[in-house]
Order: sequence, then C-alpha cells, then structure tokens
Amino acid sequence: MKKVLAQIGKEIAQFRRDKLTLALAFFLPFVALLLYGYATRLESKNILVAVKNFDTGSLSRDYIDTLFATGQLQAAPFRGSGVDIMEPLDKDGVKAAIVIPPEFSRKVSRRERAQVQVVIDACDVNNARVVKNCIIASTNYFLRSKDLQTTRNLISPQVRLWFNPGRDEALYVAPGAIAVILWIFPCLLAALAMAREKEQGTILQLYASSLSSFELIAGKTIAYTLIALMQAALIISASFLLFGLRFVGDITVFFLSLVLFLYSAVAFGVFAGTRATTQSAAVQIVATTGFTTALLLSGFLYPLRNITYPLSLISNVLPARYFVSAARNAFVRGSDFGSQLYIPVSIAIAAFVLYMAASKILRRMQLKG
Amino acid sequence: MNKLNYFTQLKALMRKEVQQILRDKQLLFLLFFMPILQLFIYGFALSPEVDRLRLGVVDHASSTVSRALTAALVVNDVFELKESGGRDAALAALVRDGALDAGLIIPADLERRYRAGLKTNVQVFIDGVDANSAGIAAGYVSQILASFNRNLSSGSQESREIISPQISFAYNPGLISSWFFVPGVIALVLNLVSTLVSSAALVREKDSGTLEQLLMTPVSSKQILLAKIVPLAALLMITVAVALLVSVLVFHVPFRGNLLLFLFVSFLAVLVGISIGIALAAYSENQRQSLLTSFFINLPVIQLSGAIAPMESMPEFFQYLSYLDPLRYYVICVRALLLKGGGFSEIWIEVLSLSVYAFVLLSLSSSRFRKQLK
Repeated sequence: MKKVLAQIGKEIAQFRRDKLTLALAFFLPFVALLLYGYATRLESKNILVAVKNFDTGSLSRDYIDTLFATGQLQAAPFRGSGVDIMEPLDKDGVKAAIVIPPEFSRKVSRRERAQVQVVIDACDVNNARVVKNCIIASTNYFLRSKDLQTTRNLISPQVRLWFNPGRDEALYVAPGAIAVILWIFPCLLAALAMAREKEQGTILQLYASSLSSFELIAGKTIAYTLIALMQAALIISASFLLFGLRFVGDITVFFLSLVLFLYSAVAFGVFAGTRATTQSAAVQIVATTGFTTALLLSGFLYPLRNITYPLSLISNVLPARYFVSAARNAFVRGSDFGSQLYIPVSIAIAAFVLYMAASKILRRMQLKG
Repeated sequence: MNKLNYFTQLKALMRKEVQQILRDKQLLFLLFFMPILQLFIYGFALSPEVDRLRLGVVDHASSTVSRALTAALVVNDVFELKESGGRDAALAALVRDGALDAGLIIPADLERRYRAGLKTNVQVFIDGVDANSAGIAAGYVSQILASFNRNLSSGSQESREIISPQISFAYNPGLISSWFFVPGVIALVLNLVSTLVSSAALVREKDSGTLEQLLMTPVSSKQILLAKIVPLAALLMITVAVALLVSVLVFHVPFRGNLLLFLFVSFLAVLVGISIGIALAAYSENQRQSLLTSFFINLPVIQLSGAIAPMESMPEFFQYLSYLDPLRYYVICVRALLLKGGGFSEIWIEVLSLSVYAFVLLSLSSSRFRKQLK
C-alpha cells in the first residue's frame, strides 16, 4: 500500500511539472466544452426561405404571414423570375423556395384546391425535415384558423415535450459534451504518462523493482483518477454556470458512475500507453480509438438507435455511452435510482476489463522473481 | 550555384523524403488508412434519422378506433410499440427513466365521444432531452393524427386539404444523411492527416538532430523546406483520392461538380494543412510537443468548420468566428461540388478565400521555420 501511495505522489509531481500537460488537462477541456456546448447545434433557427407570390389576393398574404409566424423560418428575397423554383436556392443562404400560384386566393375562398410548390435544400437532411414539418404545421394552422378544413379533427393530440419543453438544445448537448470531454482528456493524460516511462526507459527500473505490475498500475490509475476528478469538478461546475445545468435527479448514481467512468477512462489510457512504444504513438492510439468512438458512438450528437449494425456492437461496450445516459438522466430527466443501476455496473465491468488487460501486458514484460 | 545542380539536389532530397515517409508505419497509417477508417465510422455512425422511437401506449378505451390510432402511429416506423406498464404512472416512469421515448394515453370515453361526434384529446408526451429529434417527432405525431382524421371522416386514403404544399427535396431527394456527413469528413480527415503528417515529417529531423546534418550540406534552407512540401502535397493528394473513392463507392455520394475544381480546392486545403504542420514543427522541440499542440489547433478548426454540425445552426457569434477558419471554405466547396454540382461561379468566394489562406499561412509558417534554421 505504501508503495502505491509513493507512486501516486511521484505521478502527481511529474504531472505538475509540465506546462503543456497542465494546459492539456485543464485549459483544452474547457475550450472543448465551450466549442461543443455553444457551437454544436443540430437544428437551425431563422432558416431563410424565399417566397414568390403570383397571387394578388389577401389570403396568400395571410398564408405567407402564417409561414413566418413561428420565427423558425425567415423571409428572404426571391431571386429570379419564379419560373424555375430551384433558382433562388443557394443564393444569400436561402434553404427553401416557395411558389404560390396565381388565383390562389380566389380558389381557396371558393374552397377549391390550390397547390403550393415548395423545394427544400436537402443537403442537411435534418434541417430539411425541420423545414418540411414547419411548412406543413403552418399550413394546417392556417386552414384551421380560416375554417377551411375539409375534415373535422375529432381526435387531436395534446403533445407535450417532457424535461425540456422549450427545446433548448444546450440541455441535450452539454451533458453529452461533459461525458465526451471527461473520457478523452483523462485517457490522453494517462496514456502519455505510461508511454513516457517506456519512451524514457524508466519503465525498466520499475520492472526491476519490487513493485508488482498490479501495484504499478494501481498507482498510475489512482493518481490520474484524482487528476480526472479535478477535471470533472472544473467541467461540471463550468457547465452549471454557462449552460444552466442543475441536478434534477438522483445524484448518488451519477457520482458513483462518474468515479467509475473516470477510472475506466484512465485505465483505457494506461492500457493504450502500455501498447505504445513512444508518447506520440500513444497519443495516436488514443486519438483514433478513444476520441472517435467517444464522439461518434456514444449518442452524444445523434440518437444511439441510428448507429448501423456492426458499429452498434462497439457502442454497447463503450463506457462513454453509458455515462452520456447517466449525465442526461441526472441533469435533465431526473430518473429514479433503481432504474439506472445498470449504468455504474456496466462501466465498472469495462473498467475492470481494461485494468486487467493493462496489468497483464505489463506482467509479461516484468522480470521474474 | 548553377541551376542544374539546384534541381539535382532538390530531387535527391525529395527522394529521401518519400522513402522516409513510406518507411514509417505510423505515417502510412495516417495517410492511407485513417481516411478510410474515419469515413466508415462517421458515415455509418452519424445519422439524425427520427424513426423507431420507443412508444408506450396506455389504451383506456381499447376500442376499434383507439387500436386503429395506435396502428397509425406505428405503421410507418416512426414509432415502435413497446411494453407500457399498463398504467399512466408506470408509463410516465418508463419515459422518465429513459426506457421509452414517447407515451400515448387514450382516454376511456374515446369511442363514445367519437360516435357522438365530439372532439377528444389524446395525450402524447415525448422525451424532450434530444430537442431536435423530439421536435421532429412532435411534427410527425400531428401529421399522422391529421391524416388519421381525414381517413376516419372520408374513408379514403387520399383525401387532401384545400391547400396542399407540394414539397420536394433538392440535391438529396432520398434524404440520405451520410451525404451530408461524408463531404464534411473528407475535409475533417484531410485537415487532421495533413497537419499531423507534415509536422511529424519536419519535427522528426529536429528531434533526431538530422536537421543540423542537412544544414551542413550545401543545400539551402529553402530547398530543404521545398523538398518536404512537394512530396507531402503529392502524397496527401493520394489521400484525397482515397477519401473521394470511398465516398463514392461505399456511400454512393454523387459527384456532380467539376473534378478539376475539386482537385484544385483540395490542393489548397492540403497546403493549408501543411502550413499548420510546419508551424507546429517550428514551435515544437519534439514530436510529442507538436502532436499535443495540434489538439489545441485542430479541435477548434474542425468544430467551427461546419463539417459535422451544420454551420447554419451555430449561434451567430460562432458563425462569424468561423470566417477565420480556413477549413470552413473547404467544407462548403466539397459539399457544393459533390452534392450540388456547382461550378466556379457558385463557389468563387470560397475558392478565393481558401487560396488567400493557403498563400498567407504557407508564407508565414515557412519563413518562421526557415528563420529557425539560420
């Protein structure tokens, strides 16, 4: 035990000495939080839409007003004659074009069918859907408000969005960003520390010492988990201040998951460090296998159910995936204690496997006796 | 120095450079395997699709109409029917615990009120944590219910309202989400690979001390740098070709624009990446330092470029900030060339901006690096 404590002391002393490592530990995670938390949004507001109105009546003007009433769509000048509906797309950032035919008002007031042509730039599939839904909803609202509906809506849905009624995307992105950041950076630091011993040859001294591989890894992982806890304190309190996150649910599961999650990130880093011969190779292993998977397969940006089959298997064993859920449950959903126990259990299994893998590799290299 | 000699020296240096890079497994991995790996992961993992939401239904009416209503929600795969727990409170708890994405509660008097021609509200609640998906799902619910009502009153499938918007999707009519991400990933991976490989190729000479040996030879610092840049640019253009081939062959992304223009803007992007790599090498003592410093540059460059999350959705401040990001222009060019089939007239501002960035960054970083050599 004393040996492990001495190791922890040595690791933290080494960590504090290097300015670049300190910036990597505390400054870059903060920048990453700002970039992910503020600049990552999936849904556009104020989408520019150009409307060409060939009609002269008042109904078409009312209809256009309804389209722009919610504020999601914003009117832009229609460049072109209106014969080619594609023409205004791409000019001045216009994402959709609408053409209202002549005789629109006359036809509608006589309750005849009038067709409105819409074309949407679908490069960004998600926002193309947003625009489509918006136009359909506004059209239905217009028909209802003018009493033009052909059918009576006998059954109508009362749709409510739970936990996030204002559809504030920060509540979705920020908890996910916390999870991704607290995976990447602790992992990177631990990998660097482990690979440094190998690169500088000091690991041979450790092999030759009486320290067992188990103790060696315990010292390293505990030291870097302590550092990771400081990173977590910084990142979580920053997101409380910047994004207005609050604990709304059971916090015991969250904190239990947090400690296990940080430990598993560090264990993964140590594992990557034992596989690499140089520090730059260690960084590359972590960047390709840790960074990309945490960012893409954890459900941080898009729903987990959309990940295609063989990749979804990898997603299932990622601790980051479980911690993204834990963060969203604790900060937004306010889930029960009992329903979330699978989260810390899954993360603990991952941490254990990574720890054993790292110590097994080291044991093979250690001197016998 | 005579001209012939100059080029012989340059050729020899370049040959050495290419051999060194091709011998280095780590650099080869970055140059040729990384783009394939990243395209596969991004292309198959990122999808904003809103379907198969887990729906729990508590049907207090359990009548013909209520069962038809549930079926209407499930029929086009937007929702997937899951165990609801049978009671309102149990259903609510399942949504709160994240086990379900949405809940539907149908009141007991639905059938009676329907027969009497009275309006009935059914309760739908959707997990709003994923604000974007929830908004789209809410829109779907209203649309499904509207067409359900039309079917109930007319009995026919295709009864339409007085105003029916004819909506079509341009450039990507099948709404294939990978078509949006793949051009972004080409840009992202090119930026990563070019900065990492070029900084590694330069800093390695510094790290191992061979740079001093090179300087002792009759070659000039300009030749040394030129002999680094040319082979790197050539190899990185192969990276571009690999990325483009994967995009077209695996993801069936269309290539609608001008291939020459694409190669030209890619070349500019490669130069930008190499410049960043040279700058990293100039300011670093060893490979570890340049690699770690690259995180501080590549993270914001990629995040602000609009490669992954759409540029238009960013808050205004970050949209302005992104004008400082050279990758932003390349992302716009690649999307326009691949998906929209635009030519020079559509993207000349971006091509021009990218050229300016490439020129300025390359001059700054090479003069900085050469200053160090003296």
